[in-house]
Formats: sequence, structure tokens, C-alpha cells
Amino acid sequence: MNANENNVFLRFTVGDQAPERRVGPINRTDIVRYAGAGGDFNPIHHDETFAQRSGYRSVFGHGLFTAGVLSAYATSWLGLAALRKYSVRYVSQVWPGDTLILSGQVAGVNELATGCTEVECDLFVQREAANGERTLVLTAHAVASYDLQRARPHV
Amino acid sequence: MTDKSLIGMEFPPFRFLVEEGKLMEFVRAIHADDPVFADREAANAAGFAALPAPPTFSCATAHWQPADDSNPLQLDLSRVLAGGNEWEYRRPILAGEEYTVRTRISDVSEKTGSKGVMTLIVREMSFYDAADTLVLIARSTIIQLPPPPPATASEVLPT
Repeated sequence: MNANENNVFLRFTVGDQAPERRVGPINRTDIVRYAGAGGDFNPIHHDETFAQRSGYRSVFGHGLFTAGVLSAYATSWLGLAALRKYSVRYVSQVWPGDTLILSGQVAGVNELATGCTEVECDLFVQREAANGERTLVLTAHAVASYDLQRARPHV
Repeated sequence: MTDKSLIGMEFPPFRFLVEEGKLMEFVRAIHADDPVFADREAANAAGFAALPAPPTFSCATAHWQPADDSNPLQLDLSRVLAGGNEWEYRRPILAGEEYTVRTRISDVSEKTGSKGVMTLIVREMSFYDAADTLVLIARSTIIQLPPPPPATASEVLPT
């Protein structure tokens, strides 16, 4: 799964899938660790009383936590230096006890006039609850650009 | 309440130093297991002069933003949700680099959802390196839900 940044044979085809990755179960410590790392101290993510008063059943993970986990999965697949765009949309929450299921597939491959190849990918995170039920929590889109002439990601 | 006058509002620029220790804390927090983020030799072998930052590390600028207790966007944290984020990269950010970050509100709009009228605010941060070259643009959409949902244990969705 690790993309070699120098790999001359790094080529993608529409429909290619990244190997599924599981992360978790996510616990409150994961959430607090992300709050400190990312600097988002909205109490809704670490203060159970505040979260419940706001109408949630418990604290829940930061959207940017899930986006971050998925981003590293995406760059392991596509190569960090090749990444040009990454966008995420939050669909639902990640609750303590959920396991994240990461997946992705190539949605488009475009040869640009510049000689670069642009690869577009759709990426997804589902939460898997303790009872095995899966729910979509985040969708993402990534664009990576490769200069095959130079056999390097296009920087 | 939607306040279109916020569009174009700029915040004071601030310094963002990419520290290796903070990077490592972030890499662990997002469960990134790719050695390129943690091992200098792996980073060098991949063509990076120093440890590169994961794609979403720009949000750690939260630690560098000037403290502002005035809440200029008048947000109620109990009703605020992250709607989405997007990043445009010219190149990866590396440990040891220093950036100047310029922040502005690029859009304010309304959307009607099942809970009523929501306000969507887009905050755009532009990262300039030591040569004043734009390296990264990071946008985040903040959603403010309508006034308090009932305090039940139901799951309130952001859409």
C-alpha cells in the first residue's frame, strides 16, 4: 500500500481500489489526543455534560480527526508529494466505541496538456458500531498529479 | 443569523512555525502509520528534505492564532458544527519551516435543512513560506444550526 514516491510505474486506472483500512475502536482518549494535537477545544468533543446538554448522546470525534486519519491513508496510496487537492464533507458523527473503516477508489484519470497525469479519487469513512452496523460518516475527494516523464510526482 | 457583511473580513496575519514535536503529536493523533511522517530516513528517501506534515496539519494553526475572546463571528459553540474542509497544495509543508498565515471569511450563506435555516461560513487560510510564496490554501465551512434542538438523546445530524 505504500506508494513509492519515485516509482516510475506508479499508474492508476479508473476503478482501482485502495485496500480497506480499519482504525479503532476510537475511544475518548483518541478524541482528547486529537483535541490537543489539532488545537480544537470545543467542549462538545470532550465534555460529556456539555455534549448532552447540546442534544448529543455523548461526546464525539472531531470531523478533522476523521479527515486527518483518512488523509494519511490517502497519501500512503497516492503519494504525499503528488497530492494537489483534498476535500472532505462531514455526514455524521464518530462516537466513542466506533471503528473507522477507510476506503477509496480512482474516479478519474486525466492526461493534462502539461504532460502531467491527474488522478481523481473518491474516499469514504464509515463508522462500525460495536453491533457491527456501518454508517457513512465522511466523504472525501482527492486529486493527485504525476509527471511520468520526470518519473516523479509533479511538484 | 446570516450576516453577509462578514464576507471579506480579514483577521490579523500570524506566524506558524512547523515544529517536529508538534508534528509527531499530530501524526500519532491521526493514527498515521506511514513511516514518511515519522522517520527522517524514510522522508529523505521519498524526496523530502525534512519530515513532511500530513495533509490536514494546517489545522494545528489553532495553537498559533492570536487569542481572541471577542468571538467576532458571534458563534454559539453548542450549535456549531464542522461542515467540511478543503485544501489546495502547491507542495507539502515541511518540519522547520515558518509560514505567515492570512485568514479571511470568503463566503457566508444560508441553507435550509430539516432543523431549519442553517448559516454556513467559509473561512479561508493562505499559507506563505519564507520566500512569500503561496504553498497552501485551507478552507473550512462552519455550520451554525438554528437555535437549540430539544435535549433528547437523539442523534442530531449536521446535514
